[in-house]
Amino acid sequence: MSITQTEPRQADRPGHEPGALEKAKVARDRRTYIALLVPAILGLFVSFVLPLAYMIRMSFNQGAPDGVIVETFTLDTYIQPLTDPFYWRVTLDTFQMGVIVGILCVLVSYPVALFLARTTSKYKGLLIAIAIAPLLTSAVVRTYGWMVILGTNGLVNSSLKGMGIIDTPLKLTNNMTGVTIGLVEIFMPYAILAMISGFGRLSYQLEEAAGSLGANKFKVFTKVTLPLSLPGILTAFLMVFVLSISTFITPRLLGGGSVQVLATEIYDQTTGLLNWPFAAALSVILLVLFGAVIAVYQRITKKIGG
Amino acid sequence: MRFSLRSGIAATAVVTASILGLTACGGGSPAPQGTGAATSGEVNLIAYSGVWQDQYTKAVIEPFKAKYPDIKINFVSKRSSAEMLSALQGQKSNPNTDVAIMDQSVSESGNNQGLFDKVDATAIPNLANVPDKFKNKDGYGPVVMVDAVGLVYDTATFPKAPESWNALWDKQYAGKVNVVAPPSLLGITLTAITSKMQGEDYTKSIDAATARLKELSPNVQTFAPNPDEYQNVITGQTVLGLGQNARGQYYSDQTNKKIGVAFPKEGTAYQINTVNVVKNAPNAAAAKTFANYALSAEAQTAFAKALFYAPSVTNVNLPAEVKSRVVPTDGSLNIIPLDVSFLASVRDKWTDTWKRQIINK
Amino acid sequence: MNSTKLSIVDLTKRYAPGLEPAVDRLNMSVEEGHLVALLGPSGCGKTTTLRMVAGLMDPTSGSIVVDGKDITHTPVNKRGMGMVFQSYALFPHMDVAQNVAFGLQMRKVPAKEQAKRVAAALDMVQLGHLAKRKVRELSGGQQQRIALARALVVEPTLLLLDEPLSNLDAKLRETMRTEIRSIQQRTGATTLFVTHDQDEALDMADRIAVMNGGLIEQFGPPTEVYERPNTHFVANFIGQANFLTANVVSENGPATDGERYYKVDIEGLGTFGAVGHPGLTGTHELVIRPQRLQASLHAPLGANSITGTIERVSYTGDTLGFSVRAGERLLHAQLMTSSADMPRQGDTAHLSWEAADAYIIPKTPQGPAS
Repeated sequence: MSITQTEPRQADRPGHEPGALEKAKVARDRRTYIALLVPAILGLFVSFVLPLAYMIRMSFNQGAPDGVIVETFTLDTYIQPLTDPFYWRVTLDTFQMGVIVGILCVLVSYPVALFLARTTSKYKGLLIAIAIAPLLTSAVVRTYGWMVILGTNGLVNSSLKGMGIIDTPLKLTNNMTGVTIGLVEIFMPYAILAMISGFGRLSYQLEEAAGSLGANKFKVFTKVTLPLSLPGILTAFLMVFVLSISTFITPRLLGGGSVQVLATEIYDQTTGLLNWPFAAALSVILLVLFGAVIAVYQRITKKIGG
Repeated sequence: MRFSLRSGIAATAVVTASILGLTACGGGSPAPQGTGAATSGEVNLIAYSGVWQDQYTKAVIEPFKAKYPDIKINFVSKRSSAEMLSALQGQKSNPNTDVAIMDQSVSESGNNQGLFDKVDATAIPNLANVPDKFKNKDGYGPVVMVDAVGLVYDTATFPKAPESWNALWDKQYAGKVNVVAPPSLLGITLTAITSKMQGEDYTKSIDAATARLKELSPNVQTFAPNPDEYQNVITGQTVLGLGQNARGQYYSDQTNKKIGVAFPKEGTAYQINTVNVVKNAPNAAAAKTFANYALSAEAQTAFAKALFYAPSVTNVNLPAEVKSRVVPTDGSLNIIPLDVSFLASVRDKWTDTWKRQIINK
Repeated sequence: MNSTKLSIVDLTKRYAPGLEPAVDRLNMSVEEGHLVALLGPSGCGKTTTLRMVAGLMDPTSGSIVVDGKDITHTPVNKRGMGMVFQSYALFPHMDVAQNVAFGLQMRKVPAKEQAKRVAAALDMVQLGHLAKRKVRELSGGQQQRIALARALVVEPTLLLLDEPLSNLDAKLRETMRTEIRSIQQRTGATTLFVTHDQDEALDMADRIAVMNGGLIEQFGPPTEVYERPNTHFVANFIGQANFLTANVVSENGPATDGERYYKVDIEGLGTFGAVGHPGLTGTHELVIRPQRLQASLHAPLGANSITGTIERVSYTGDTLGFSVRAGERLLHAQLMTSSADMPRQGDTAHLSWEAADAYIIPKTPQGPAS
């Protein structure tokens, strides 16, 4: 009789309740796990689930002037924006802004991220730190910086004027141009970080292998580097897209009131008009938009990753 | 269907706080101290942020503290009266604010929503010095300071102050005009004034005003000037825009007369702030002491000197150089009377009109 | 038939000025169809040499000549070599067939021919049935074969293998050794093979270049490198060795292959027979492989015999190793086990050797090589 056969029999020895001890141990372990999870679950519940549920409930109320909320259950808050071409346009503009900012941000961040991911410099850590250092200053401060740079008498306009390229200042701020420039720069560190972490499959050796198989530098890039960095690019795009369509600071400060996107609309409804139900409904719509985009993203990553 | 305010939020907050095992704030032990001038405790004041906060602290709060060393003042600043109202609505069931200084149209709404207490001359003796026109007809918080909307202009571009609102439409200043669009009160006021100028009754329709304001749109550099409407002119981003007299005067001094403020000949509208005692305020007695001080000749004079708001009490004699720069409240300025409650009721609608038709041509 | 395929002339690589060169004036020529192993410890310059041949790294000086053409400055993608990387470097975003076809695609081979050659290459490594698999679905051994197929399908001028077996487990490594060697022989691809594993090198290579400190210490067929090490380092690195310092006393006539028998004196132990290059005099190191020592517990078995005490016995089933102390010297012997009496620690043992098995390292010893 082999050892493995005798082992389970031990449980059948007289005086030994079969499995009782094990069961008790499993139950105790489970209790421990649950106890350990409780703070996290509670934290998540309080900080995420509860406000979300409250917001969704709020979206079915009815808003009256000056912040009066009529507690009821109505779909008006949804029907109104969804049947109003104005809000369709705002939603479309929001989406378009997200896409444009996402694409531009990825374009300018990609070379930096690629360099940082591939460099073998001993200063790599420092270089990455420098690239993401702007995150240490708030988006508000950086947005104000851009207001100064892009303004009528700002750095860009006065330089162009000084060089005699333009006579009248370009309108670079208080419009979508300014918002786009500001957002692209502000989200670059996020894009760079997302890309670096998404370049996991990229390796120097793969590029060398492609080279040794006869690929010139351009082919190495298009056939190996680019396809392999696609997951990072997509993640960065998604991240910047989501951040862009949910931020209100930069569109508000650099948009001069002319850039109307869902986030600024929600902000105006909340703080200016105090119409919380309507603002909540717009937020839910924005949330659905996020969900849709993330669903598409997951499909794509599955495809390119698999 | 029942009416309720933001009590839900407060409830949520309390639930949240207790779940987290924190002490629910604002509970304390307020124990209404009854009427009579309290000389100790604390006052939670909600009012405007920025330069207003700085100057009010310097001119009113610091001297108040000197006078009542046992009363502590916590200043909660908000960027607009609407934000103050929102905060007060959130705390309605369990307020942690005592006094609010905010725009009259907004405090009116607060009065209607039962957010504020009525006041009388027993608790606030200085109310006696407030003329009837600045008292609330239902006995709520009175006017504490007066200002008016005007044109803020770059003195280099305008050696002579602009005389008419029409300067905003002047093609010369294309792209160099700033307007603060509704829901800001400045934008609401401009809409009403434009409506009047077009010979329209804004309480019936603002179609003519809308058409006229659409023509303004191409001239506008920004509908939401940042950091504010004065800095935009100071930095040269714009040369002309909407603004308030008080802050305009203040920044004019700060920038060595780089900017000026003018009241156009077609008339203008007041911007009036009231001082209000919050209903069920945790420190009601101290709140009244503070409100009384805010209406004192001392405080009114000091703030007029500091930020050029006109006093709302009769027993003040401003020095001539200050008097000439605050908005006249003696009838010498052409003031277009605006129906503040009506304007409050159409704020959403007008904001929408601006967004859909004026800003987005 | 045996023409020179690759010549490396005075090849030097210095990673930074002032630094010791990683490869130092290296010279080597490889014959067509040969598999040459670059063998050495890590940091000896073998991988650097391979990378310079591949074109992945620029030499500091010297030249690389393939088929009579100087390719020192030809970019990697124009060299037409096939390389198998240590990590295989298969493209994870392509399937097996796409990986193998990559080189053909780059050479703009017509699609039809591509398909044919890819199929043939996959059949060669016996993985034709995996053509549509994703790379990550393959085992290490399969990846290794695909990498080989990918390198060979382009009919490379040179096949370069960078430690291709080091990521495989021991069993698989032996199988792949045989397989790579047989494929290499079938295709006749001249191959440069970097390894730090002496068994691999001895088993697979036509020639072994033993490298140390950026230099080739010895370049020759496996038997020569093992039996007739040029230096202490080579003798020590390949296989096990007993080193004895000896003075040449006299030459004792011709041995095979132009070598001579010598009588040498080992201090304190007497005189012994040895073999070496003609014309040796003075002090040299004698190398005797442990397997070439014969042992007896009773009486010396021959003339070249040392008597000592057994200090340690190690029994591994197939072999029996033991260390014998004779004065200050410790000699290691390795015998096949038998059912005969087992030596024990403390026993007296007589170790002896044939003169032909004691090789005099031609270079004068310069202290222990590190």
